[in-house]
Amino acid sequence: MAAFEPVLSRNWNNPDILSVMTYESMGGYAASRKALTTMSPDNVVDLVKASELRGRGGAGFPTGLKWSFLPKDRKETFMCINGDESEPATFNNRYLVEKDPHQFIEGILIGCFATKANTAYVYLRFEYIKAIHILEKAIAEARAAGHLGKNIYGSGFDLEIWCHRGAGAYICGEETGLIESLEGKRGWPRIKPPFPAIEGAFRKPTVVNNIETLACVPHIVERGADWFKSMGTPKSYGPKLYTISGHVNKQVCVELPMGVTTNQLLEDHAGGVWKGRKAKAAVPGGISMGILKKEEFDIPLDFEEIRKTGCLGLGTAAVTIMDDQTRIIDYLYNTTRFFAHESCGQCTPCREGTGWLYKTVKRIRSGGGRIEDLDLMSHLANNMGITPGTTICGLADGAAWPIKNALAKYRDELEDFIKHNQNPAYKITAGQDAISKGQSPLPTNTSMFVPGIGLAKSLSN
Amino acid sequence: MATIIIDGQNYELPEGAKFNAIQAARHFGIEIPYYCWHPALSVVANCRMCEIEVGTQDATGEIKMLPRLTPGCQTPVRDGTVLVTDSSKVLEHRKNIMELLLINHPLDCPVCDQAGECGLQDYSYSHGRAEHRFVEERNVKPKKDVSDLIVLNTDRCIMCTRCVRFTREITGTAELQIMRRGDHGEIAIFPDQPLDNPLAGNVVDLCPVGALLDKDFLHNQRVWFLSKHDTVCTGCSTGCNISSEENAGKVWRHKPRHNPYVNDYWICDEGRYGYKAANAPDLLAGNFILDAGDHHGVATDRFFKRLNEDLTHRILDKQAVLAIFSPFLSVEEAYAAATWVKHLTNRSTLAMGPVPVVGQDQTFAPDKMTGRSGDTSFLMPRPFTISAEKVPNKAGVSLVLNQLQGSEPLNFDDALKQAESTPIVIVFGGSPNSDWITVDQAALLRKAERVILFDSTINALADTADYVAAIASFAEKAGSYVNRDHRLQHFEAALPTREGVWTLLDILAILSGNGRAPIQSRSILAEAAAKIPALSKAKDGAVPEFGVNLTGKDAPIPDAGFKDDWTLANLAQI
Ligand SMILES: Cc1cc2nc3c(=O)[nH]c(=O)nc-3n(C[C@H](O)[C@H](O)[C@H](O)COP(=O)(O)O)c2cc1C
Ligand code: SF4
Ligand code: SF4
Ligand code: SF4
Ligand code: FES
Repeated sequence: MAAFEPVLSRNWNNPDILSVMTYESMGGYAASRKALTTMSPDNVVDLVKASELRGRGGAGFPTGLKWSFLPKDRKETFMCINGDESEPATFNNRYLVEKDPHQFIEGILIGCFATKANTAYVYLRFEYIKAIHILEKAIAEARAAGHLGKNIYGSGFDLEIWCHRGAGAYICGEETGLIESLEGKRGWPRIKPPFPAIEGAFRKPTVVNNIETLACVPHIVERGADWFKSMGTPKSYGPKLYTISGHVNKQVCVELPMGVTTNQLLEDHAGGVWKGRKAKAAVPGGISMGILKKEEFDIPLDFEEIRKTGCLGLGTAAVTIMDDQTRIIDYLYNTTRFFAHESCGQCTPCREGTGWLYKTVKRIRSGGGRIEDLDLMSHLANNMGITPGTTICGLADGAAWPIKNALAKYRDELEDFIKHNQNPAYKITAGQDAISKGQSPLPTNTSMFVPGIGLAKSLSN
Repeated sequence: MATIIIDGQNYELPEGAKFNAIQAARHFGIEIPYYCWHPALSVVANCRMCEIEVGTQDATGEIKMLPRLTPGCQTPVRDGTVLVTDSSKVLEHRKNIMELLLINHPLDCPVCDQAGECGLQDYSYSHGRAEHRFVEERNVKPKKDVSDLIVLNTDRCIMCTRCVRFTREITGTAELQIMRRGDHGEIAIFPDQPLDNPLAGNVVDLCPVGALLDKDFLHNQRVWFLSKHDTVCTGCSTGCNISSEENAGKVWRHKPRHNPYVNDYWICDEGRYGYKAANAPDLLAGNFILDAGDHHGVATDRFFKRLNEDLTHRILDKQAVLAIFSPFLSVEEAYAAATWVKHLTNRSTLAMGPVPVVGQDQTFAPDKMTGRSGDTSFLMPRPFTISAEKVPNKAGVSLVLNQLQGSEPLNFDDALKQAESTPIVIVFGGSPNSDWITVDQAALLRKAERVILFDSTINALADTADYVAAIASFAEKAGSYVNRDHRLQHFEAALPTREGVWTLLDILAILSGNGRAPIQSRSILAEAAAKIPALSKAKDGAVPEFGVNLTGKDAPIPDAGFKDDWTLANLAQI
């Protein structure tokens, strides 16, 4: 395999790249010009299909295929670019916008041309204030330079890009939550069907793509589908931005061919585990994806292989390393708290399940745990999410996966923790315990004085 | 013919039916429990109570099931649809949902007004599990007023968002919203913007649990003591179908009944609180004769004897009669009364009582798009109109009078003028409002030599009439009304007649000496239908559930008039 040449991050060390002139002088906007002036929208869709580019937003859905779901006879199409990037420890989208905004704009331009969208909305995470300033300035420059606006490059294609800032909710990263939020409503995901391609923003056919997904597109147009497929692992091609954080010496965002392993990231790019410690586990791609054991650090981080470890998927490729002093109960405490806080609250299993899991983990962590709590957690986790079909969106799956993985991979540690961390102040009463198991709160054949009734009859199980 | 399979059995869908899985199953007598879905609102599929297993059968007969549970509310049925509602997976899922819905619930049923008609109680009983595994602290949430009439117990709310969708999709007023996330979410109003649209009370009926409650009814009655009577609102000429709910001789509340041709699932607040007139403490009780400037109570038999003698004497003298008919009379009352008058003398004039009009018609016309979300192709939006004409049966009374007189009835103003020159004025009242006639109007009628009044309230005319007979109030009688759209609808009595008071039908039977009380309204309607061509569709006095369109043909109802379980706690249907 030829030496890997980064493309997405190639300009990141050049601060002048924020200016459209510099970007153009480095060959920028050549791909968009090529697409708009020498290709038809369908040619672009076919090219992206051929490249087998899969969405970088988390689900890994084939991008070209998604674009081809748009109704043929549509009159108006919207492109929504998902820059909500709220998955903990994920910051590759931020780098893409802050460090090379024109590459992103060029990607939007080609993506919109391919999907015949004349309006693009960039939905950016609330906290990305710097990114939004950079992006808005870049959009203005690109417009002045003729890359946006009416009749771009004389091709007859028009495009306007609007920036929209979120209001600080993880759920607005879910594509239909995003659309609702964009429409000015509460970010409650919609049921599907109808899928956004048929009825999305403002009830019009809509494509939702991640920032990194679109940033790949100019390079595919420029270098071809074969080039893209020359990198990566089967069914997971192309370059990918990985972020590494947690207990490492160097927290970085690096571009690598799809399918590197956790060990490679840790040792070659993050400078190893901090404080001279050893690694214990890792979160593979944002906390929704579950947890990887140290023994699984040699599994390729791509769309397919990672699932064999029981993890939900690659997610955002935001790898968080945990050192050997990290307690799994603390990991669970953080994840359950996050999802209980971020559940939008419409589906019963997610709204109540995330809160229940958080309260249970909190009690266990405080010293009030029972071994049976682990089974209860497992039952709750197995019954929430789009996997069993009990919720509207995948947040619930993301909330369930850390529990499922931790129980599958670290049950011994959790049981051990419960046994050795008992604090009377947090224990539930024997009565509560019995009732929760469907038993009588009193021992068999005892009697109970009920005021006003006298001695009630013997209670038995 | 479209065939679907439910729980292994084949069923033929009715022609033109537009059903989701819940509706289809209900149609064939199979229950799929649900909360958030409502036939008139967008599908949001958030409660997850209705989940079932769904598949399709292809032409070769092979069945392919989806691997995961699917909400029935979100599943349109078409030829080849396969539904499984009774698998262990489905039953287990329902148990899970019931458990989850209750973990943060206060379970204060003993003091909750919803108890007895509560979606949580009913489904816990039929679909829940007895063990409750939750041992954590419950969330505590506030009780808040969303209007002067409605209280919201946020701790009892199951976040189905029916109430929110109602205000966005039906009234278009959008007073309700959701605040906060996760299990801390709450339904809320915007500060100082109460939920006070004219249909606001419907959110109480829509709410499947004890979260939204009517302060007017709060802690007045345990609902299991109430008897429900299917009746029709008399508030305006729309003729909303309602359930009048009574106990211990009093009506305690009105609730809407579904009628796709009239009120869909709703009633307006005016009609909702119109029940109060039924309990008015000062309704007319007993029969009175004016003697030497004073009204004297007279026993019923003596009263009618004297009235009959007086009338016979005058009629033999060829004195003319002016008879005025309130638009609050039922079709049957108007028919029996007008027939009696016509038998008395051929020198009679029939007139319509006052028809109050307040403001203008107010129509809420939901469509498939405004305020809605998702796939709305299955929705059948139906408009709801609050009529300016504040009487229930102007159309019915006038068609009867028209027929029996052979010409349009006189209007009330002309009748007032004519009273002076007419020796005998007979007024058939029935309005629940004692101010239906003013003192001045009563004085004009009083110019006749003899004024005879049948009515249920003490009013300006009752103060001066020669004969005053108490009749059953709107809540104490049964019969039928014809609404503004020429729909004849049957209504039941909600209360027994007041002590010593008869229905007008019974009184007329006595006065005309034919028939023996109690008179069934149905037999009178049958008689009227045989005589009056405009009523011919009510042959034999039979009136179908949704009423009968007297002048035209009804459009089909592709959703088969699905009754929402929670509006009236209809659970027992299956
Ligand atoms: C709870 C939740 C949060 C999500 N957050 C994001 C996000 O922040 N950014 C993103 O690109 N995709 C996010 N997604 C995935 C999107 O729904 C969607 O699949 C993606 O934006 C599609 O773009 P792609 O095909 O280019 O990957 C999220 C999904 C879920 C269920
Ligand atoms: S799964 Fe959770 S976050 Fe997603 S829509 Fe349902 S309640 Fe909201
Ligand atoms: S809402 Fe239902 S379950 Fe809750 S307290 Fe009221 S009656 Fe009980
Ligand atoms: S208040 Fe009632 S109708 Fe409204 S969301 Fe809560 S449970 Fe549903
Ligand atoms: S999810 Fe179908 S009724 Fe609530």
